[in-house]
Amino acid sequence: MILATECDVANEVICAPANVNDLFEFPTIFTIGGLDFGRTAILMFLAAFVTVAILHFGLRQQRLVPTKYGVAIEGAVGFVRDGIGRDIIGPESTKYLPYLMSLFFFLLVGNLFEVTPLINFPITSRMAIPFFLSLVTYVIFMFMGFARNNFRYLIDTAWPRHVPIGLRWLVGLIELVSVFLLRPITLAVRLFANMVAGHLMLTLLLGSGVIFLAAIPEIGLKGTIGVFWFGLGLFMFLLEVLVAVLQAYIFTLLTAIYIESSIHFEH
Amino acid sequence: MEGNIEALTGALALVGYGLGAIGPGIGIGIVAGNAITAMARQPEMQGTIRTTMFLGIALTEALALIGFVLFFIASA
Repeated sequence: MILATECDVANEVICAPANVNDLFEFPTIFTIGGLDFGRTAILMFLAAFVTVAILHFGLRQQRLVPTKYGVAIEGAVGFVRDGIGRDIIGPESTKYLPYLMSLFFFLLVGNLFEVTPLINFPITSRMAIPFFLSLVTYVIFMFMGFARNNFRYLIDTAWPRHVPIGLRWLVGLIELVSVFLLRPITLAVRLFANMVAGHLMLTLLLGSGVIFLAAIPEIGLKGTIGVFWFGLGLFMFLLEVLVAVLQAYIFTLLTAIYIESSIHFEH
Repeated sequence: MEGNIEALTGALALVGYGLGAIGPGIGIGIVAGNAITAMARQPEMQGTIRTTMFLGIALTEALALIGFVLFFIASA
């Protein structure tokens, strides 16, 4: 941002994203009934479509010997069902499985858009999407908490009886704020900030690599530093694939843990 | 330039984020290190330990990420 204000207009390739927001905000392409559709909204529908498509084509036929693709999809579904649902929530998890499954696959596709050629934009780096999903999670675990435990859910959180009396008000206050206020915010910010950081880092490293390499005819040997930036960018690219999968997993895992902690509130 | 606080805002935000990243950095190191120790001692518990490790890392990392977001808010 400091560079942008002192930018040399003659050298436009470096000036192009004048501000960090230019990397995340896209102009409206078309409008339907007062709703503006930019690139993010279109990619969001694409992500939903891709999610449905990969699950549909992977699981449409129950074969005795599944295809390789079918095995991969079954493995991913089994991972969410057993690794997240059954291990965390327990036998009750089948009720929440549709939500966990769609959450995991939508976030996986949305995060992997960051490293998909020609798209290169993680839709989860716009706060609206992770925050909406975390609010859905919040409504589910609040509803289950109050439905299963009535108002004991609120009272026992604020006044935990297993804690010594002297510290009870402090622990209760921390628990109250963290469970009822901070949970949806940190859940959303964790995913959002990871994706923003990844997108910025890839843009900066790969972008500066390309700019330096393209400038070799003008600035001579100094431009070869671009090889270093580009190599580092490619390494980060691989790391971001890992981060994209991991963040989808962590969001789903924390959703499962929050649901579990409100339905099995006693322990 | 003299007494110009405005010009320093971005730099201060950067220093603030750097300070905010110290704690989570140490925390993630402790979590991962202890998880490796636990896995080496009891390889049969690997699955559970890995899940718990990712959970611990995610909770610790949140602080650094909040600092990262605040950096953009403060320097904007």
